[in-house]
Amino acid sequence: MPDTAPPSPVAVAPVLITLQLNGEPTSVAVPPHWTLLELLRYGLGLTGTKQGCDKGDCGTCTVRIDGEPQLACLTLALEVRDRHVETVEGLGVGGEPHPLQEAFARVGAAQCGFCTPGMLMSASAYVDNLTLQDDPVVRREDIAAALAGNLCRCTGYTKILQAVEEVAQVVLDRQREIEESTAEEP
Amino acid sequence: MKPQDPLLHVLGQSVYVDDLPEPAGMLHAAVFGSPIAHGLLRGLDVRQARAIPGVVAIVTAADVPGRNQIGGMVQDEPLLADGAVHFVGQPVACVVATSREAAHRGVAALTADIDELPGVFEPREAHRLGQLIIPSRTMARGDVDAALATAAVVVRGQTRTGSQEHLYLETQGALAVPEEGGRVRIVSSTQAPTAVQRAVAGVLGVGMHDVEVDVTRLGGGFGGKEDQATPWAALAGLAAWLLRAPVKLVLSREDDMRMTGKRHPYDADYAMGLTGDGDIVAWQVEFFQNAGASADLSPAVLERSLLHATASYGIANVRAIGHCCRTNLPPFTAFRGFGGPQAMFVMESALDHAARVLGVDRSVLQQRNLTRTGDVQPCGMPIRSDNAVRTFEQVISQFGFAAKQREIAAFNAANRRFKRGAALMPVCFGISFTTTFLNQASALVHVYTDGSIAVSTGAVEMGQGVNAKIQAAVAGVFGVADARVRLESTNTARAANTSPTAASSGADLNAAAAAQAARAIAERLKSHAAALLECPESAVALADGRVTAHGAATEWTFEKLAQAAYFARVSLSAQAHYATPGILFNRATESGVAFAYHVFGTALTEVTLDALLGTYTIDRVSCVHDVGTSLRRDIDRGQVEGGIVQGVGWMTMEEVVYRDGKLQSANLGTYKVPDILAAPALDVAWLEEPNAPSHVTGKAVGEPPLMYGIGAYFALLNAVRAAGVAADGMLEAPMTPERALLLLCGERP
Repeated sequence: MPDTAPPSPVAVAPVLITLQLNGEPTSVAVPPHWTLLELLRYGLGLTGTKQGCDKGDCGTCTVRIDGEPQLACLTLALEVRDRHVETVEGLGVGGEPHPLQEAFARVGAAQCGFCTPGMLMSASAYVDNLTLQDDPVVRREDIAAALAGNLCRCTGYTKILQAVEEVAQVVLDRQREIEESTAEEP
Repeated sequence: MKPQDPLLHVLGQSVYVDDLPEPAGMLHAAVFGSPIAHGLLRGLDVRQARAIPGVVAIVTAADVPGRNQIGGMVQDEPLLADGAVHFVGQPVACVVATSREAAHRGVAALTADIDELPGVFEPREAHRLGQLIIPSRTMARGDVDAALATAAVVVRGQTRTGSQEHLYLETQGALAVPEEGGRVRIVSSTQAPTAVQRAVAGVLGVGMHDVEVDVTRLGGGFGGKEDQATPWAALAGLAAWLLRAPVKLVLSREDDMRMTGKRHPYDADYAMGLTGDGDIVAWQVEFFQNAGASADLSPAVLERSLLHATASYGIANVRAIGHCCRTNLPPFTAFRGFGGPQAMFVMESALDHAARVLGVDRSVLQQRNLTRTGDVQPCGMPIRSDNAVRTFEQVISQFGFAAKQREIAAFNAANRRFKRGAALMPVCFGISFTTTFLNQASALVHVYTDGSIAVSTGAVEMGQGVNAKIQAAVAGVFGVADARVRLESTNTARAANTSPTAASSGADLNAAAAAQAARAIAERLKSHAAALLECPESAVALADGRVTAHGAATEWTFEKLAQAAYFARVSLSAQAHYATPGILFNRATESGVAFAYHVFGTALTEVTLDALLGTYTIDRVSCVHDVGTSLRRDIDRGQVEGGIVQGVGWMTMEEVVYRDGKLQSANLGTYKVPDILAAPALDVAWLEEPNAPSHVTGKAVGEPPLMYGIGAYFALLNAVRAAGVAADGMLEAPMTPERALLLLCGERP
């Protein structure tokens, strides 16, 4: 029979931190050596963010911290104290899926689905930062640059590009409409 | 947003093994793998590991209550090393702890006492030493010796193709939960639930009915979770059984890359005889397959290489010889294409060689020799289609191959540093398991009294869309919307004796079984409706969610009919079994109808090479693909696009490097797969075939597109040659930028 021994308590005391998590103020006790990925998956039960390599190479653990796409496996949980962390679970708006989520599902940009949450978080950062003033055109190179840290082994990336391109175009078109309607006002 | 899985994926709600809610008292396991490629295992020092807080148990071969054996085709693979180790990473012990962290600490604290023995890593060396897993095989047709002796031109050479890491983004894993009465329930990330069930039952010494295996979905498989998912499920099952506690075992990426087998590296010798006009009259090829330390699926992979020895070409005189060589590397395994890609690379290399000797473009030889109706494959199976020729011609016309070649020649004449290249790649791929008995599937369909429908089959969803195809097939039978049909998890208690979801045949087999079961229920429903409507059964149909009589809608909705049938005590459940008709391959005679049909296609690949640095871009892959009358072309497109990029990766940037049996490319920092910047632009066109043979879901689409990737290698070779380099030595894949640079420098890489 195997050797058995009683489980021992964790040696290091957890630290209580507060953060914004998908828009909600949250306080949670964190073992100080935990990564943000461990906090999300084990501490907060948010398993939408995936563990793919634990070394910052694959991008499946991408979340947004204060809006910027970041790798949760390379971020210490304590680093997000008082910052805003967004995960795929919080991507929808008002109970509706984010347009990127809708587009990914519709065009088939999610096959096995494992890279999808991280891919969506990188894509959402790109789409949210689009402004008519900075750059009025959607370019596939820009999308590719924004998603270069997220590996996908299923799709060959074409449908992912297509989904992000569609949403980006809608975002810019809407900005253009707003601008034009503002310009028409006396 | 109808399809089940894609919606859950984008919402982050899809549950993979590591996402399952943890049962109370769950323990974590991690695996100690051999640090030595070959040696005698004298002992294991567990003292330090046992002292680590949280470590509960250290499981070794001595703890196995049943048989310490998980080999599938050949019983040559111990679950845990016993007396000897045969590859670096071979599981020696399993550390079980209260946390994943403690389990890994425990593994790090283990030391094994191993007397090192010499290792063999090259298949040709293993062949010389007689280290073969099965006796060598020969598939022959015609008289190759006579044809070589009289051929106007004969080229002889050697090739090498490298391994490939599957890199499913979800690593291998399983969660085992002991249940009452000595039963174990295992949730596994496996393509082969029955293989896991059989192995666990054997290891525990219990009946297969004492082991339930459940699979919801995989975060990618690509063949890497066909046999290679079994050890981790069996270790979790063993630990759960011994400790009477739930145990989860999920491999870290590095453990996964180090411990699991990948695509087989092949060495090959070839001899090709041609007429002066370029017709192939003789083809002899000898494959030295690097099988790794145990059989796994290697004999079947080798069999497919032999069956695809002539690739997309019709050749009358053929001799294909295969050696399944045992080495001290992890057991190489199934990977999309399953021996077909390796065989096709040898053929295309020989055509390249012959084209140089004859002074013609390789595409001329390809086109002259394409297989067509009436040709006979090396196994004796006739080719029943001209789609090889049709797809080839359509690519040339639709994507303007001649104009592109002129454009590339002009570009290369005008540029010194950058050189472009293009290549055509035809694919002819046989569909069916070559192990005939695997070509069967069963399905269980329930219609509930509210008209909702649930389907269980043996198919495993891993992103290839098999669930959506089965869903569409069943919904079509009942004349209801797809959304009314739910695909249940793949579970050995609901679908027994399942074949692995592999060989591109998951949809072919399981959708056929599911449609058959659905038809049985639909017939009962229609019969009942005919009685209710007092009209002949032949006048009743199910369409648009209701019953029609004589083509007109009635007041009977599908759900109302289901309820009425239930009250009339009509069975609303059916189980069906499907076996592919008309196939039988005989290993004793190396002949027979190995496949239900062939899938064809042709791709054109264009590349740009920096002749100073050896770096390159794969600019575009355009293909015409033969998918028949598909139920879901959107899904098929995803399979084609993903397959191409994976194939391009195998041929270009993905290089698995072992040194003395130790994996050097053991993480994504050292093993590169195509990212979005490396992926080519893709044009996928379909071969329209008005009288295509009918398949329930269209032709199989999983594997064939991968082999379009071989075109990237030859396009790069053309670009290298455009830089004025002969590149006439042995062809070796992958064409990494490093290898391209060495070629450009005139080195033999």
